[in-house]
Amino acid sequence: MFHAKKPSSMNGSYENRAMCVQGDSGLVLTTDPKPRLRWTVELHERFVDAVAQLGGPDKATPKTIMRVMGVKGLTLYHLKSHLQKFRLGKQPHKEYGDHSTKEGSRAAMDMQRNVASSSGMMSRNMNEMQMEVQRRLHEQLEVQRHLQLRIEAQGKYMQSILERACQTLAGENMAAATAAAAAGGGYKGNLGSSSLSAPVGPPPHPLSFPPFQDLNIYGNTTDQVLDHHNFHHQNIENHFTANNAADTNIYLGKKRPNPSFGNDVRKGLLMWSDQDHDLAGNQPIDDEHRIQIQMATHVSTDLDSLSEIYERKSGLSGDEGNNGGKLLERPSPRRSPLSPMMNPNGGLIQGRNSPFG
Amino acid sequence: MSMDYPYDDLLDLYFSNTPATAGSTTAAATISSCEEHGNSSNDWSLDMDWDCDYRDLIESMMDDEGAMMESPPMLSCHNAQEGACNSASTGLSTAYGVDVEEEPKLDESKGLRLVHLLVAAAEASTDVKTRELTRVILARLKRLVSPSDRTNMERLAAHFANGLSKLLERANQQRQAGPHQQRDAYDQSDVISAFQLLQNMSPYVNFGYLTATQAIIEAVKYDRRVHIVDYDITEGAQWASLMQAFVSKNTGPSAQHLRITALSRATNGKKSIAAVQEAGRRLTAFAESIGQPFSYHHCKLETDTFNASSLKLVRGEAVVINCMLHLPRFSHQAPNSLISFLSEVKTLNPKLITLVHEEVGLMGNQGFLHRFMDLLHQFSAMFDSLEAGLSIATPARGFVERVFIGPWVYGWLTRITDDSEVESFASWPQWLEANGFKAVDVSFANRCQAKLLLSLFNDGYRVEELGQNGLVLGWKSRRLVSASFWASPESN
Repeated sequence: MFHAKKPSSMNGSYENRAMCVQGDSGLVLTTDPKPRLRWTVELHERFVDAVAQLGGPDKATPKTIMRVMGVKGLTLYHLKSHLQKFRLGKQPHKEYGDHSTKEGSRAAMDMQRNVASSSGMMSRNMNEMQMEVQRRLHEQLEVQRHLQLRIEAQGKYMQSILERACQTLAGENMAAATAAAAAGGGYKGNLGSSSLSAPVGPPPHPLSFPPFQDLNIYGNTTDQVLDHHNFHHQNIENHFTANNAADTNIYLGKKRPNPSFGNDVRKGLLMWSDQDHDLAGNQPIDDEHRIQIQMATHVSTDLDSLSEIYERKSGLSGDEGNNGGKLLERPSPRRSPLSPMMNPNGGLIQGRNSPFG
Repeated sequence: MSMDYPYDDLLDLYFSNTPATAGSTTAAATISSCEEHGNSSNDWSLDMDWDCDYRDLIESMMDDEGAMMESPPMLSCHNAQEGACNSASTGLSTAYGVDVEEEPKLDESKGLRLVHLLVAAAEASTDVKTRELTRVILARLKRLVSPSDRTNMERLAAHFANGLSKLLERANQQRQAGPHQQRDAYDQSDVISAFQLLQNMSPYVNFGYLTATQAIIEAVKYDRRVHIVDYDITEGAQWASLMQAFVSKNTGPSAQHLRITALSRATNGKKSIAAVQEAGRRLTAFAESIGQPFSYHHCKLETDTFNASSLKLVRGEAVVINCMLHLPRFSHQAPNSLISFLSEVKTLNPKLITLVHEEVGLMGNQGFLHRFMDLLHQFSAMFDSLEAGLSIATPARGFVERVFIGPWVYGWLTRITDDSEVESFASWPQWLEANGFKAVDVSFANRCQAKLLLSLFNDGYRVEELGQNGLVLGWKSRRLVSASFWASPESN
């Protein structure tokens, strides 16, 4: 189960009432003179988790809950009244767990329509259903965000291995390197414990792949939520138009465009920029590391030199070193929004400062 | 008789396509004697998409496999019945008798011929007496294809042919060679590059990693100390995402301590031990860089038998067992190693056991040829899935195939050849169930994550639920890799 770390960005788009979102803690307070706390679904979930962890509503106390939840701005007063309601079982959220899938909830919604006899009961149920749908949507968005972070973490880790491997080789072969360079081999030749010095190209980037189609089932709500992706979308467009067709081809692979998904979907493109999120909350992982990644990205986006590399290297010609050198020397003015691409050559030179080195 | 062995007929036909250049063996004789027959088969339609169809062909051949098993390697020429082939495919190129090498359009019909040559080679390799025949078929195959060819089938055939001939070499000098498998001489950074590229090209690797990771995160949500025993840690990339999840979570205990114990086996020599140590250093550095409390242990096994007492355990920690079996295992593990491991860890009362494995038929008492076809099928699906995302001409793809997939194919071939590798039970999930492990449900978030992951790639991938506790990643109709979650019988 995922939980909101910074739900503020999410809430902002679909909670359009007079609410005030408080900074990092994600608390939503009314703008009344006497601010009341709004128990959002995710906040309530955290509350329920805390209670469960403390051994149930009867064992948990506001004080212990506050400690376990650790949400800034949440007061004993808030918790006391919420716990009271929770103990009395008046909390409407508690029924949500009953519907385990979205299909389930949809079917349930239909049933409610048919069965509900009094309008009061019906509106209450509709409200719950709406909340349920919102919760699912929210969970999906959370899953999406976490997935992005996890893939990035893995990518960074792999990158660090690569840098280290190159570094080790560079260290071992220092003497050989000088000799080989003198002989005109270039440094990539020294890596060549293998005959196929990597024709490592830009990986097919996730950006180029279809977006999160599932989200579309939520219709208008999704539109709103996805609005904040627009900004990124622009970036992506710019990136693709700025590069030539060959570039786009590489990234898009052979993916067929799917005409049934319109603009909404494109808004939903997952943004894999390494500036968007950092590994440990808001703390930059390591400036040096970041710079390396950026440099590698610069280099990779320089298409001319890349394709040159491809041709030479895929031919397994012996004269690879010069290309490697050129690749690193040519700076690119563009900062690609794409996440770091692998570049063992870059790792070789810059890897000495690697945080994992 | 010829009706019973449709592919033998096909094989003959295909041989007839190429002038007999193969040398002076039975195979060569076969080729020349079939010539007139090949020319007569003109009644097949031209248009078909071989890239898709050869997998169906393999499937249909597997259905006929029972018949095949009874026959010794059969390359002698019979009066072929074209009709027999119709079950396998809708038609073949009409341009019989023209040399494939001179006519690029014929690349596609070549695919079928390659499958037959491969099967013939595999079949011949099972018998010591036909070793020379195997060698000849492989020599022919290698002349026809190379790993840098233009079509999927050619490349796939090249990797399988290479694998089979390495196997043959190894069999020839088996007396000298020790128990260690010869790992390919690729540079380690190349292998890692290829591994990372593969992660970007296909959800295959990450489906296993991330699905298991998510299940672990959910299982240990409230535990302050988490101890993961990793059966095969490889590069350790799985744990980067887990650590990331631990530091960015906001429920449960604030700072969860993570301990990982990685197993290494002395039987694999110093290199594998060094790799496990290196993974530990990297993970420690990574944990430090993101502020995750972490410790690493290395459990060296002297034999393939595992003993739970060799693990250092701390009271109150949640034990998780992680078995990632879906990646190429370059180091050798005795077949009973996993059984011994799982039986022993049961006593540790683990909160969760994650199991991710390839959907290749190493289980059950099916013959070698069945396993071979299944393997061919698996990898052709994989090549197909790569093709859908990335053109075959992309150098990155060729690189991944040569450095990573090629050795992977070879590793598999050695395993399916070795009868002691084959388990008598049908699948690992079945074994776990039979041994009293409890199924742990797949959560909504985990299913959702898997779907989101696939949506980053091409349309052909799909995720399917396997009971309550499993997810399978497939490419079109073929299952590639499955993940399932278990707990010890005593856990609640």
